[in-house]
Amino acid sequence: MLHAIEVSFAYRNGGPSVVDGVSLAIQRGDLVGLLGPNGSGKTTILKLLGGMLRPRHGSIAFEGRKLADWPRREAARKIAYVPQETHAPFDFSVMEIVLMGRFPHLGPFALEGPADLAVAHHALEATGMSAFASRPFHTLSGGEKQRVVIASALAQEPQLLLLDEPTASLDVGHQLEVQQLLSRLNAGGDVAMVLSTHDLNFAASLCRRLILVRDGRVLASGPTADVLTPDTVRALYDVDADVHMHPRAGHLTVTPIART
Amino acid sequence: MKRLALLALAACLTLGAAADAVPRRVVSLIPATTEMIFAMGAGSRLIAVSSYDKYPPEATKLPRVGALLDPDTERILSLHPDLVIVYGTQTELKRSLDRATIPYYSYEHRAMPDIMATIRAVGARIGYGVQANGLASSMERELAAVRATVAGRPRPRTLLVFERDRTTLQNIYASGGYGFLADLLDVAGGDNIFADVKQQSVQAGTEQILARRPDVIVELRYGESAKNVDPTRDLRAWDSLGSVPAVRTKRIVILVGDQYVVPGPRIVQAAHELGRALHPEARW
Amino acid sequence: MQQVRGRLFVTLAGFGGLLLLTLVAAPLMGTTSISLARAFDRAIPFADNSDAQIFFVARLPRIMAAALVGGSLALAGAIFQALLRNPLATPDTLGVSSGAALGAMLAIAFHFDFAIGGLSSVSLSSLAGAIGALAIVYMLATARRRGLSTTVLLLAGVTMTAFFSALTLFVQYMSDFADTFRAVRWLMGALDVGSYTPLLAALPLMAIAFVMMAALPRPLDLISLGADAAAARGVNVQRAERLALVSASLVTGAAVSISGPVAFVGLVVPHIVRLVVGSDHRLVLPASALFGATFLIACDLIARTMFAPIELPVGIVTAIIGGPFFLWLLVRRT
Repeated sequence: MLHAIEVSFAYRNGGPSVVDGVSLAIQRGDLVGLLGPNGSGKTTILKLLGGMLRPRHGSIAFEGRKLADWPRREAARKIAYVPQETHAPFDFSVMEIVLMGRFPHLGPFALEGPADLAVAHHALEATGMSAFASRPFHTLSGGEKQRVVIASALAQEPQLLLLDEPTASLDVGHQLEVQQLLSRLNAGGDVAMVLSTHDLNFAASLCRRLILVRDGRVLASGPTADVLTPDTVRALYDVDADVHMHPRAGHLTVTPIART
Repeated sequence: MKRLALLALAACLTLGAAADAVPRRVVSLIPATTEMIFAMGAGSRLIAVSSYDKYPPEATKLPRVGALLDPDTERILSLHPDLVIVYGTQTELKRSLDRATIPYYSYEHRAMPDIMATIRAVGARIGYGVQANGLASSMERELAAVRATVAGRPRPRTLLVFERDRTTLQNIYASGGYGFLADLLDVAGGDNIFADVKQQSVQAGTEQILARRPDVIVELRYGESAKNVDPTRDLRAWDSLGSVPAVRTKRIVILVGDQYVVPGPRIVQAAHELGRALHPEARW
Repeated sequence: MQQVRGRLFVTLAGFGGLLLLTLVAAPLMGTTSISLARAFDRAIPFADNSDAQIFFVARLPRIMAAALVGGSLALAGAIFQALLRNPLATPDTLGVSSGAALGAMLAIAFHFDFAIGGLSSVSLSSLAGAIGALAIVYMLATARRRGLSTTVLLLAGVTMTAFFSALTLFVQYMSDFADTFRAVRWLMGALDVGSYTPLLAALPLMAIAFVMMAALPRPLDLISLGADAAAARGVNVQRAERLALVSASLVTGAAVSISGPVAFVGLVVPHIVRLVVGSDHRLVLPASALFGATFLIACDLIARTMFAPIELPVGIVTAIIGGPFFLWLLVRRT
């Protein structure tokens, strides 16, 4: 569905390459984690995949067409992006935030109609936030805000959801909430997801495939069990760690032991 | 013989001391007082004037030491004056002069009677009391003469404008009921339409002008705005207030010159010109 | 929650009706009592009809000016607040007003005497200053390839404001007392235009700006949550931000050239409007324009009747009303 081939990017002309020769492929219904330390270029890769940045070298194709050739609105009907944090300087309600996800489906002067409201309600239900519809956004907790923003992305009715460090500022309880939500949404097979994270255990518990990124390059990519090993953890984080399957959790867990 | 010599010496010394008490190096920061000093014949006493002095021509040859907002204290002190005429509000400058033990005369400006009072006070201070009194008295006589010439004649309702944006009716500033422009108008036989406003200047709105219906509009031009006076183009701005009697009867007069804004000896000339503009048929 | 469609209709009807009422009532009020019958009596030649002149020459242009200036400044304020993602932004934040002030100050201090078709040189000069300031801020903020950086924009605007204000003070200091006084009064705002010419002259610029603003409201909503998120939803962020900057600055410059800078309208009116209609910019922008017009007409009415025959500069009234109100808003938020 989405292919990146030898993509490189630098924020300034002649500046250091933040992303260097990255190639990856996302299939329908995928649940992929971009895993790497801070500053490894994960967020940049995500923005490149979402079309918010243009690669300096290489190309990105979505459904067979160059991403740069997709008209903005059309692309937004297929690909949605959830930033790490959302700060609203004005008093929007939860429903207003979610309705903003309908923008790519409406013309420049069109106003939301009953159909759009229905999609928004559906998105709120899917994220378990229906009761909050008329609450002001800024009164919500961090986890609740994240779920609203995810609902807003779902309102775009996308086929691909890109999430930047979705649980970075959440405590373990809210982290589990979001994790279960994403898993549930992806389980239907309609929405592929790519999320970036530096949290090894979160990646291990949720993602079926992992792409390990360090210094703007792909270190390894493939099914989680194949890719997440003590050697790759050491290569990514300079940390000696124990990686094994947790019997009760049903997925790999990583326990750091010492810095190398 | 010796006693006589001693007496003569003592007399010379006291006379000399008395003579030294009279200021001989005067700095004037106010154009009005500069004109006053020249008019009473004491021009030779002046050693420096303000940045805005233009009259009489001799004044323009003197060194300049700033004005109300920006007096050049260093320059003033370096000239070693023995009297500085300052604005009443120039407290910083006064303090500097106090520290340098240089005497000053504090000028206050309110209305027309203050002009003559200032002439007399400054004259007395610089030892020209007699001449100053003569000047002030002659001014009072001439102003009274103007008053007499227009006495008994119907006084036209007058709008006295001293500031206006060119070609538009925005930001019109007119004389209010106080101040020497108001007094000037009174002497010249006009009825100020803003006499009830207890201020020196009024920002005259179009509604006020239309409501108060002046018979005559007098526009003063002075300083920079006296140049580029193209009366025909400029006066057309008033046409939109056609119901005002002054506009209907085309009694809009432009008077040019600094004598209208310098409250000094030339207000007599100003009173004459204004009186003639308001009452052309009187016997001048 | 009601749909936007319905709320938009109610908003436009409500604020529009209020403005209409104000437009009808304001010319009837003033320090001079006039007879409407006389004013509209066509039998009396206009040049002789003082009631008609008070109505059509003194009051009506003034009220129209208040409507145009108030609406423009309120719109510009709302747009700048969205563009800078900051509810405390005003039309003055980015230097346009201080550029206009410098232009006006130069015209006053150097006694510019060019006047084109009934527009005073102060008006023309202040408009030139506003456009100059906009050009500089625009170039500084778009110097980077990647669109308009709001941080750079804010810094550029604040720097320009400080720089132009310093220049203005310098010119004031060098000019004589009368000119300084005129300049200070200009800075307080004055709506007594006395003719329709300044309004007609400003209209084309305002019309261009309004066209630019037409499709902005929804993108501004999205952009306020973050430029990346907005881009991901299909907004052309760079184009929207540039349109917002240019249109809001143009309309501010046009307004200031009519009346001088009027304080607080651009800051307070959008906030009042948001208290009533919420934060959706498709409601906030038109409501701000309508209520800004109403607000300034009301303030001008107070300014010209409260201390008759003295007319207060309208900027003083807006500051006296706007300042405490804004303090109350801030206290309420915390």
